[in-house]
Amino acid sequence: MISIRNLSKTYPGGIVALRDVSIDVKEGEFLVILGPSGAGKSTLMRCLNRLVEPTAGRILHNQEEITGHRRHLKEVRRQFGMVFQQFNLVKRLSVLTNVLTGRLAYHSAWRSLLYNFSHEDKLIAVQCLARVNMEHKALQRADTLSGGEQQRVAIARALAQQPIVILADEPVASLDPKIARQVLTYLKQVAAELGITVLCNLHQVEYTREFAERVVGMSRGTVVFDGAVSDLGEDMLHRIYYRDPGAGDQEGAPA
Amino acid sequence: MTVATMDVAVAATLGRAAALRNRRLVRAAGWGALTAAVLWFAGSQIGMNPFAIARGIPFMWDFLTRLFPPDLGYLPLLTRATIESVQIAVWGTLLAIIFSIPLSLLAARNTTPHLAVFHVTRLFLNALRSINELVFALIFVSAVGLGPFAGVLAIAMHATGMLAKFTAEEAEGIDRGQVEALQATGAGRLQVILFGVVPQVIPAFVSYSIYRFDVSIRSATVLGLVGAGGLGFSLFKTMKLFKYHETATCILIIFLLVLVSDWICAKLRERIL
Repeated sequence: MISIRNLSKTYPGGIVALRDVSIDVKEGEFLVILGPSGAGKSTLMRCLNRLVEPTAGRILHNQEEITGHRRHLKEVRRQFGMVFQQFNLVKRLSVLTNVLTGRLAYHSAWRSLLYNFSHEDKLIAVQCLARVNMEHKALQRADTLSGGEQQRVAIARALAQQPIVILADEPVASLDPKIARQVLTYLKQVAAELGITVLCNLHQVEYTREFAERVVGMSRGTVVFDGAVSDLGEDMLHRIYYRDPGAGDQEGAPA
Repeated sequence: MTVATMDVAVAATLGRAAALRNRRLVRAAGWGALTAAVLWFAGSQIGMNPFAIARGIPFMWDFLTRLFPPDLGYLPLLTRATIESVQIAVWGTLLAIIFSIPLSLLAARNTTPHLAVFHVTRLFLNALRSINELVFALIFVSAVGLGPFAGVLAIAMHATGMLAKFTAEEAEGIDRGQVEALQATGAGRLQVILFGVVPQVIPAFVSYSIYRFDVSIRSATVLGLVGAGGLGFSLFKTMKLFKYHETATCILIIFLLVLVSDWICAKLRERIL
């Protein structure tokens, strides 16, 4: 169980990305965080694996504090796999090597100097690829794959970390609808099979209705909705996407 | 918007565009005049004079006629010096490649362990780059003695400055997303560099290395002027002894060497990239 408590983040320059966000995530849950661009979804995720340090608030994983201890950084990040909007595979490396980078945190830097992985790591990597049906392209260079294939490999890379949680930051925003549904299906299925908790940022209401169990709606850095997807009504969507009159911002619209 | 207000908006936008263009024209004319003045002043200071060229033509012709024909009998005596020039270039470039791998990582903002290290390394690389190979050769000749080894070190120093700086700048321009993805896995700093930065920088690094080898070949043909081995010594010696037909042979060989190296480098680039 992950407890996000009163989390706030103000970037240097005064941009407030998160204001007093509190969310509880149950183990094994597929949670969609819905909101327009600039709502603070990405910042929230990056606070969880500490790519971003929050200004205030706490994040607890099974009552243990994630924030603050520099010592645990490697361990925390290893437990949180991440999937990105732009896939972020290392383009010039093979698919297999990309998935193997999910194993780096388990080893010392000295072993990595030779770009060498153990047989056990390779076994794990190929199994992860097989889970997203990409093992047949293991030896191809990552940049030869289509967008959907790259995102599946990125999911395999996250799985190779043997994580407790996968953070998916707009994983289908760069994909066409058919491929997007395929990728979300893989993500949801594989996570369910392995008992991995998923936090998935989306800005499309359509996919949210199709895939989410529970939804957290965010707008301008605050949580404005937290409940079952069936309770997500039109008035609530309006609150998520259209800001108060006078806020002076028309960014983001429902799909 | 009604048609009338639309017309007003269009006219206003076009008006602003015209005003902007006029401002830019005035500014460009100002800068142009300033540049011309500076160039004129600099040219007169360093005695640039088209008439001097015209007056010099007979002397140049005289020199050229003395060069021709090249003394091909001198060719066999140049074989060793030619090979030596190539050897100097190969080792000088190779050493530069080896040195510039760690130095470029220290000299890139996103891979350096500390900002102070970054600044010190950049300063060091700029110092290496600012000193000409001939000057380095003079220093190394007095350090390790006359001969090709001084030439190797001279090229290695200057080339390291260039290769490491270019590579560091390449490393600073890589895709941040690929690096962030590796950080997110929990990989350590060195692991992120090895798997996220190095693969992105390698194509440019190889390309710069090949280009640098081409430049090194050219340098290695003149280092002999200060006694650091290779063809340059023969070039210098024959000129001092007024054996211009032999000088012509040296120039011919240098030209051929540069042609061949250019061709090899082009082929290498094709194969690797």
